Amino acid sequence: MNVKDKYAIVGVGYTPQGKLPERTTLSFHLEACANAIKDAGLSREDVDGLICYRHFPPSTGEQDVSPYLVAQHLGISPAYLFQDAN
Amino acid sequence: MEYAKPLPQVNADTRPFWQGCRQHLLKIQKCKNCGLLRCPPAFICPECLSSEVEWVAAKGKGRVYSFAVYHAAYQPGFQDELPYVVALVDLDEGARMITNIVGCDPGEVYCEMAVEIVWDDVNETFSIPKFRPLQK
Amino acid sequence: MLHAVGALESGACKYVLISYGHSARSGDSMLRMLSDMTGDEAIYGHFGAAGGYALAARRAMHEFNTGPDSWKHIAVGQRAWANLNPQAMMYDSRLTDEGYMTAKWLIEPFRLFDNCLISDGGRACIITSVERARDLKHPLVTIMGLGQHNPSGDLQKADYLAGPTGARIAGEAAFSMAGIARDDIDACQIYDCFTYTVEITLQDYGYFEPSGGKDWFMGGTIEPGGRMPVNTSGGLLSEAYHMGLTPLTEGVMQLMGRCGPRQLGPETNTKTPEIMLCSDNGGILQTHACYILRRI
Repeated sequence: MNVKDKYAIVGVGYTPQGKLPERTTLSFHLEACANAIKDAGLSREDVDGLICYRHFPPSTGEQDVSPYLVAQHLGISPAYLFQDAN
Repeated sequence: MEYAKPLPQVNADTRPFWQGCRQHLLKIQKCKNCGLLRCPPAFICPECLSSEVEWVAAKGKGRVYSFAVYHAAYQPGFQDELPYVVALVDLDEGARMITNIVGCDPGEVYCEMAVEIVWDDVNETFSIPKFRPLQK
Repeated sequence: MLHAVGALESGACKYVLISYGHSARSGDSMLRMLSDMTGDEAIYGHFGAAGGYALAARRAMHEFNTGPDSWKHIAVGQRAWANLNPQAMMYDSRLTDEGYMTAKWLIEPFRLFDNCLISDGGRACIITSVERARDLKHPLVTIMGLGQHNPSGDLQKADYLAGPTGARIAGEAAFSMAGIARDDIDACQIYDCFTYTVEITLQDYGYFEPSGGKDWFMGGTIEPGGRMPVNTSGGLLSEAYHMGLTPLTEGVMQLMGRCGPRQLGPETNTKTPEIMLCSDNGGILQTHACYILRRI
């Protein structure tokens, strides 16, 4: 597979970072995603692929974060979903 | 006193190893097809994918491949032993295993140091293989 | 990244969003993951990634001339970048050679500042085709080359702890696809879970021979004003821990020219970057991905 210069990174999403005990893992996913979509100048309907990068066991009191859950909360139905390992 | 550190989690792959340890035998898996020694135990050989296996007793001598000195206890059971040494030891037979180096100051341990086995009978079920500097 | 490119290349989708988030510092999830990683090795008090990388680093000290005298340049150099990045967790915290050398041991040979941060937070990015990207608003940053290699060995079988790691083959593949040489790279964003990881990765990419790291890093090579800037956000050691997305997104933002006071170029007395090398690792040096990005 030679994909030299065929693909580009078009948006980056940041969140507050550091020690934020009032925030959940899911909330960071969603804020980062929303900011990346906005940064790229896209709308959420454009996003038809979602990869959750790395997976961790949930913290006590939090739900397990899967790509399905992130997609659901972003209100998108991607053609391609993938969960990376940790 | 209750043993405060993690104990082996025995499963079908590792049971013969821990049964051997209880008898103070360091039993290592040997592939019947290609002869590769493997540690930790596993169902198939990563060299030839054979699942035919025999267990051979290692003599319990080897050399330190690498080691790390713990100055913090990430598990409370180790608090009283700080600083302690976790090491990878190359057995003379060829396999490499993770273990502790005991019986000397952590500052005395070095890579390629000659070591020999010493058994830690931690409770009625388990004996854990550790290593100390080879006694002259 | 390879998954994203694979999905785009197959035509399955047009815009791939890569998402990361973790309440790693405030929740107990990180501890649970690291405990899981340890398995039966926990019997001996071996712990997680720090324990594994400490064994790797110690073996490297035995095999070639490295150790804290090399690693201090990495910790101190990346901190200097973090001091230019208001988002960095260590923005307000200076680090000197002496501060590094007098910090407490955690798992020797690592002192406190050899270890990455643990952060709450998230990071995401979007990848699409160059044709679609041309219609969007930011400067065009393409994936010029990529490679992946996964030795996947258990610690007790690993022969790559002191190199060559997966970085050797992954790097060769990425450079080959990009059709460039090491000297064409303007700056690097290297996955830096520990200082030693940066050294062994750059060594495996061929920037110096084994034992040459100490001299290569000396004199501020990777710092603001240096000849090969590395981890310009502060990295995992001094910005925040978002795994491979910390280096990747920093590479993108630098090429887009959106990095403010830490921007590579005249602001930091460095070369304005056109080509950037980024890396990502998993496990204890068990997996490796290398990406070369460029601004067109």
